[in-house]
Amino acid sequence: MTQKIEVDFGLCESNGICMGIIPEVFDLDDQDYLHVLHDEVTPENEERIRESVRQCPRQAISIREE
Amino acid sequence: MTQAKLVFDPFSEDFFNGAYETYRRMRDEAPVYYSDEHDFYALTRHEDVAPAFKDFDTYSSKYGVDLHSIRSGLPSDAGARMIIFMDPPEHRNMRSLLNKVFTPRAIQAQSENATHKIEKYLSRVDRDGFDAVQEFTAPFPVEVITAMLGVPEDEAQQVRHWIDESLHREIGQVEMGEQALHAGAETAMFYFDLVQKRRADPQDDLFTKLIEAEIEREDGEKDKLDDLEIAAFATLLGAAGAETVTKLVGNAVYLFAKNPDQWQKLREDRSKVPAAVEELLRYEAPSQYNVRRSMCDVHLHGTTIPEGSPVFLIGGSANRDERAWTDADAFDIDRDRTEAQNLGLGYGIHSCLGAALARLESTIALEKLLDFMPRFEVDFDNCTRVQMQNVVGWKNVPVKVLK
Repeated sequence: MTQKIEVDFGLCESNGICMGIIPEVFDLDDQDYLHVLHDEVTPENEERIRESVRQCPRQAISIREE
Repeated sequence: MTQAKLVFDPFSEDFFNGAYETYRRMRDEAPVYYSDEHDFYALTRHEDVAPAFKDFDTYSSKYGVDLHSIRSGLPSDAGARMIIFMDPPEHRNMRSLLNKVFTPRAIQAQSENATHKIEKYLSRVDRDGFDAVQEFTAPFPVEVITAMLGVPEDEAQQVRHWIDESLHREIGQVEMGEQALHAGAETAMFYFDLVQKRRADPQDDLFTKLIEAEIEREDGEKDKLDDLEIAAFATLLGAAGAETVTKLVGNAVYLFAKNPDQWQKLREDRSKVPAAVEELLRYEAPSQYNVRRSMCDVHLHGTTIPEGSPVFLIGGSANRDERAWTDADAFDIDRDRTEAQNLGLGYGIHSCLGAALARLESTIALEKLLDFMPRFEVDFDNCTRVQMQNVVGWKNVPVKVLK
């Protein structure tokens, strides 16, 4: 079973909190659109991804089990 | 000695003074608080307030977001539709009209203008004695937000006086008074008139953006906002953008005078300014609570909140909840910010649209204050609080800059 990051782009307002926490996973481009660079949750990044989920003021980020 | 009866009254001096002791007792003794005087419920623990902000199905904004409106029992879409009185899906459509203007990156464009306004007012004050709120934190934010809206600069301060009057409450007063209603009407007419002008002569401002915007209705049809709706939106943005930063930076001057070691930390390391802004938002958020209407019976901590009740979600208490934060009552700019979600700018779909602007203005203001008054003292005996609907903060903070 793997865990993947899901972003609700209808909710995302490009606050960039997630990018501040873990820039190698979340990136805002020049148009202020959020890109998920790696959507897989690994033991190395899991803690910071969970922090991003929690700190997102829009609750746009979630983790999906596959 | 028996303890006094636990009373939380949002229209009392206790509230206006920052009801942190009352909040603590509510969290401990009555996590689902009921006011028999005003007939409302209140949630105060972080673990209850944060999820409630997210749960718009249970806690609706559609009946208004203050006690008086919700008690009237009428959905507020009877009048002009305003974004803070909306649930999804309408809320999402409305918010999407403006959210790209307020992203942190987009808001960087306001940096120069905000710096200019901040320097303008700071350069005018008397270092030997000035009122940090009346002469500095009150006049500059309104100029920043109204400039974005498209209000002529010389009319910004008039807008501020109307906002102050419309939010003012006497102790014990639940509804808007006559003066507040009058100020609200004046504001609406003023904006209505500006909308007419922008229709005739479009500019690069938010009024023009709102005039041109198309919004998707519930039935999927697209149409435009009418003039009243735009005026209402502008009233909201103006008030939200002016009052809050005024209070936050006013609180900053007071709190750093009370906690000089924290000011010293900032003087030694300017990179801590953004963290200081976050701590100010946690410690004493200008907006202390939002009221929602329960859309079903809610069972929590052995109590039932009946459907149709006004429920106060007190972020100002959750941000001081010792269950969520270490040394919750300590003002500490170096604290671990990952311990809990800071609810100072709200949370969930109605979280502050202008968060990035608030952070930008507050950060610049603190940096300029560090330059202007590396050492200062506050005349605590002559500090007075505002008495306003759902916001707390200072009306007067007399400051003297030290040599």
